[in-house]
Amino acid sequence: MNTNKLNVLILSIVFIVISFLCTPCYGEKIVIDGSTTVGPIAKAFAEYYMGKNKGVNVTVSESGSGNGAKSLINGTCQIADMSRFMKEKEFKAAANNGIMPVAHVVALDGLPILVHPSNPIKGLTIEQIRDIYLGKIKNWKDVGGPNLKIVKISRDTNSGTYETFEKLVMNKEKLAKDVEYVGSNGAARQRVQKTKGAISYAGLGFVDKTVKALEINGIYPNQETITSGVYPIARPLFMFTDGYPKLGTELYKFITIYLSEDGQEIVESIGFIPVTSY
Amino acid sequence: MQLKTRKFINKLFSGIGITSVVIMTAFLLILLTPITYKGLGAIFFSGTIEYRMLNYKEFGHGDKENIEKEFAKAKTARAPVYLQFDSFKKEVKKLEPKKRREIKNQLKEIKEALKELLGPFPDTPIPVLLRNQYGQTRWKNAQEKLHHVLYSEEWDYSDPTKPGIQVFVPRKKYFAGTSFESFFPYLEKNIKKMLLPKFTCYWQFLTDKSKDAHFFGGIMPEILGTIYLALGAMIFAVPLGILAAIYLSEYANPGKIISFLRICMGALAGVPSIVFGLFGLAFFINTIHVSNSKSVLAGSMTLALLILPTVIRSAEEAIKAVPNTYREASLGLGAGKWHSVWTIVLPSALPGILTGTIISLGRAAGETAPIIFTAAVSVGLPLKIWETLSQPTPALSWNIYNLCTEHEAVDEIRHVQYGMVFVLIAIVLLFNLTAIIARARIMKKLRG
Repeated sequence: MNTNKLNVLILSIVFIVISFLCTPCYGEKIVIDGSTTVGPIAKAFAEYYMGKNKGVNVTVSESGSGNGAKSLINGTCQIADMSRFMKEKEFKAAANNGIMPVAHVVALDGLPILVHPSNPIKGLTIEQIRDIYLGKIKNWKDVGGPNLKIVKISRDTNSGTYETFEKLVMNKEKLAKDVEYVGSNGAARQRVQKTKGAISYAGLGFVDKTVKALEINGIYPNQETITSGVYPIARPLFMFTDGYPKLGTELYKFITIYLSEDGQEIVESIGFIPVTSY
Repeated sequence: MQLKTRKFINKLFSGIGITSVVIMTAFLLILLTPITYKGLGAIFFSGTIEYRMLNYKEFGHGDKENIEKEFAKAKTARAPVYLQFDSFKKEVKKLEPKKRREIKNQLKEIKEALKELLGPFPDTPIPVLLRNQYGQTRWKNAQEKLHHVLYSEEWDYSDPTKPGIQVFVPRKKYFAGTSFESFFPYLEKNIKKMLLPKFTCYWQFLTDKSKDAHFFGGIMPEILGTIYLALGAMIFAVPLGILAAIYLSEYANPGKIISFLRICMGALAGVPSIVFGLFGLAFFINTIHVSNSKSVLAGSMTLALLILPTVIRSAEEAIKAVPNTYREASLGLGAGKWHSVWTIVLPSALPGILTGTIISLGRAAGETAPIIFTAAVSVGLPLKIWETLSQPTPALSWNIYNLCTEHEAVDEIRHVQYGMVFVLIAIVLLFNLTAIIARARIMKKLRG
């Protein structure tokens, strides 16, 4: 009797395995790795693409621009999402591995400075932000706000967003020791949502009602101010491929979505700024 | 020591013991109750007509005629809303400029909120992204969005020395004296007719793939990925682990080298899992290229390394627990060493080995760090068995983390996250339950 029951167990396992085998077949794959800022765009493109091309499995990971670059250099992904340009070191490493990175600018992004919506501050100057992150300004009352300690949140140093911030705001000066580092745009926003005295920065697509974007030098980040270059902390968002993909391949079709009208609508509805204007 | 003191100490000790057991149970309840309650919310909820329409169009669930009939009903209820919107647009032009600007801003906000609540306006082109093609699929979220339509969220900064206070201003106020004023009470009163909420059991949450980066659909790819990874880890770790355990306990001569090996294994068991993850990336993917990208194969190998020490240790203990008389009897009857290990020692040790293995299976299913760099992705399709050799997969443990920290719309898809947590815990519990049952069965069989 016991053997009978064991047989049933074995049979059910075989059944489960067979049912796995019967899930529909997918052939090609596109592996995307990199920036958490570009992640939402890549995920939306993937959904759009898989809806139109049923045979392709597009996978997206969000592990930071630095990791995206490393994956491309090691040949373990076909597209590296990056919220900064590749560094000289990375280019050299890529060339040594026989990989020729080609940049595709898929969208534009202003780096909004985020505070809790209860914060009455309307805007700051670049110098004030720098002083806050250097630890020279410690309380919101020093910049015209309430008597509240400033909690400084920053992205981790592997992120392209951090490097943009460091270059455009900090002038490559070192951040104060009590800055809190978080691993993704989403986490940065959550930290600001929950903390009254917090200040942080994230991609434009991550701004919603729960946080407040500040005016920088009197300029609010929106399509107009960012494309014209008036908003001081703006940057393009990249997807890197190894060489320009062969025309007509799945990769080519994927990487050119951003040039289409649908691609523009996707970028816009996620909250970033498209490079095309139909 | 006096008898009285001894009795007191005894009582004190049992008291502390009972308290700690009670605290443990309370913790377990505190932990499991919300997980179960919120997790089940992903499957059982009050779904709107938008949900039923989406599920029919994207997955083919539900009865077409019924849904279309319902949708037509909802559409009739919605028509006055849009009509009022259109007719008021003409009225706006006649207002004085200052008032017009204020009202136009309000209208823009209302339009956006209404789109989120009921889906795109009729007679406008269909949006490209799936998330913009439908209104709120869950009644609970719909109520929040309704609030956004009815009230504008503003901050009162009147006291500059203190943080502002959130105030909800009824939007009706801005439209006082216009024909649009009646829009708000109509919407509030008829919202149920427009969305037709109904209790829903979405069991396909477990078997559907996710749509539009987890906005809609189920978690099939994640469940499948988790099972693949855990079973894959077993395929590598179990044979290796059992063989090593047999060697260590039956064949090896106890000595310095063996005890050194044991220390190494103990150290291996204590290595943080993220280190295994980085090692897996550096060795399996970048050095020996088991696949040309992250893949389930590389992930399972990394997980196998992680659980190997546990498997070896538990198998060794189980083998050691087999009474020596068994071996002696077997050898006495003329069986060789290997023969007696294979036919006598291993079968008697099987319950112990099985328990250890399945508990580590549970651990492999729940680990996050080792698969971040070797196997896990945020979105992807469910894989077929042979695709696991070359393709990465979403997995429950990683996607829970990803959804709660990295997703751009965390708050709107909390239910998916809770559902994933619940399913992951259910899978791990199921593994452990199997271990207990299998163990009991084999013990019974062994006793004859």
